[in-house]
Amino acid sequence: MSTTNADLGEPTELSEDEQRAVEAQLFRLADDEFIQAERYTFWQVRAPTLESDLAVSNNAQDELGHARLWYDAIQQLGYSEESLIYESDPSDFQHSTLVELPFEEGDWANAVVRAYLYDVAEDIRLSALEESSYEPIRDRIGRIQGEEEYHLEHARSWLERMALDDDASERVQHALDELYPYALTLFEPVGDVEDDITNLGIRSMSLSEMHTEWADRVESFLTEQGFEVPTDAEPATPIGRDNQHTDHWHSLHEEMTSTYRNLGRNEATLLMDEDDE
Amino acid sequence: MTMDIETVKEKAGSREFNPTDDMPEEYRKAATRMLEFHANSEIMGAYLERPFIRKAPSIERKLAFSAKVQDEIGHGQMLYRAAESLGIKSREEMLDDLATGDGKFLNCFHYPMDSYVETPMIAFFVDGAAMRRQATLKQSSWEPYAHAMDKICFEEGMHVKHGESILRELTNGSQREQEMVQEAFEEWWPRILQFFGPSDDASTHHDFAADVGLKTATNDELRNAFLNQYMDKAEKYGLEIPAEPRIRDNGDGTYEVVEDDLDWDEFFTVSKNEYEGSITQIGGRQQAQEAVQWVRTMMDGQTTTDTSPEPQAAD
Repeated sequence: MSTTNADLGEPTELSEDEQRAVEAQLFRLADDEFIQAERYTFWQVRAPTLESDLAVSNNAQDELGHARLWYDAIQQLGYSEESLIYESDPSDFQHSTLVELPFEEGDWANAVVRAYLYDVAEDIRLSALEESSYEPIRDRIGRIQGEEEYHLEHARSWLERMALDDDASERVQHALDELYPYALTLFEPVGDVEDDITNLGIRSMSLSEMHTEWADRVESFLTEQGFEVPTDAEPATPIGRDNQHTDHWHSLHEEMTSTYRNLGRNEATLLMDEDDE
Repeated sequence: MTMDIETVKEKAGSREFNPTDDMPEEYRKAATRMLEFHANSEIMGAYLERPFIRKAPSIERKLAFSAKVQDEIGHGQMLYRAAESLGIKSREEMLDDLATGDGKFLNCFHYPMDSYVETPMIAFFVDGAAMRRQATLKQSSWEPYAHAMDKICFEEGMHVKHGESILRELTNGSQREQEMVQEAFEEWWPRILQFFGPSDDASTHHDFAADVGLKTATNDELRNAFLNQYMDKAEKYGLEIPAEPRIRDNGDGTYEVVEDDLDWDEFFTVSKNEYEGSITQIGGRQQAQEAVQWVRTMMDGQTTTDTSPEPQAAD
């Protein structure tokens, strides 16, 4: 647990070390949410039913909204949306490799398992940030938590339902075996900045404390549903947090930024400004 | 007792009939055909636009595309429900027909859309054209159809604004962007004119749907209303209307499109789902639908309870 919880003050008041720690926390929050949302949108007009299509679209837009809140906090530290996303290099991103893996058409079980593993981790991380010593983080938590609670509930009810069906259970188990090692990368360190994040009170729990809580919750719920949780697994490589990613991320980044590059843009649209005209 | 056709024609007026009326089969079939076509078009329009959620050049645009695609799925859901209320076809049957290529949908959604600069051709012009038609359907004689249009028209209005915003941005952009938009406009313009179908003079079949108040405006009236609004808008954004197809301004708020300048063979190939793009669009979606058949099978095997994880879209 942190020993000092002094408020870090305004973005402009941060010391070099403080800013480095704040950024390390913000980048993973923003990138995780952004790429999770990006992959969710794969299911738009591809989900099993019209109803599940609407639900997955909701989740994607919620996560995109959260990503926007976090990128906005990063921009207060002197970055721009262009430099963060559209003019960035794929290796500038620090999201966990869990969220960058592509979906195979029809693999709805993978989508549900990934959402569940991610949403539990997100729930724990957000709780650990509630009392953050950095106000722009603290301020954003409440609004995000309400929506994340619903996502978690959504993933849990799908899993409960799939657990009752033999074919679906098998698919869930398969996805769980595949994704669990990638989910572990959510708790991997960015580098030696990790101690500062907790010591400065930016986050109240260490990575290993969050990992333990996550593993307990995930194991308890999934075992109850009759699934086998690969608790002995090692984190998959690359881990994402250290800016190393799978090839899937490179092609996704390429596609995501293609229009911006093809049009020779140098700024991203901010609709709010435009609507004020 | 089932209402006879003559009575239906006499009574036909805005929101006149609803599921408590015992409507003749001919009416129910005609209404089902219209609603199914409309619902299918929402789904296929969403399918066509979905790649641009990913390719949108900003987070704001990405959100807007995701929301628009979601709205369209919601419209499809509402329209299929209104269609089911006629007792001719179930939603599953309609969705299956759409997947296998038996379901029909709007001509513009049969063409591939490869570049972001093409998106306002759908999101501004085609949606604008659809708005003209949909506004008149608020007076449809089938009440559930008219009711669905209340919400759909509101959301479509937002979509057209989103499309206009993209168009404005592109036409205020670099020389290169402006040229790319003009090129896309020239490619899409004839399809947009064909959106309303052949001219009334050229359509020989007797229009039952109009007689029973299911639709309240003719192809020509709708095309005129669209041209009155959108020719000016196109010019306002610096787009040049192609010389062909020729459009004669009658000077009284009406236009005549020279029908021979449009490719009707292509139009009818499209409307039979036999165009190259039709096959690509339908096939792609069919594959996606079949890939998740196992989930629907699982759901069918489980009795529906109130623990369903899926929220219903609000009406």
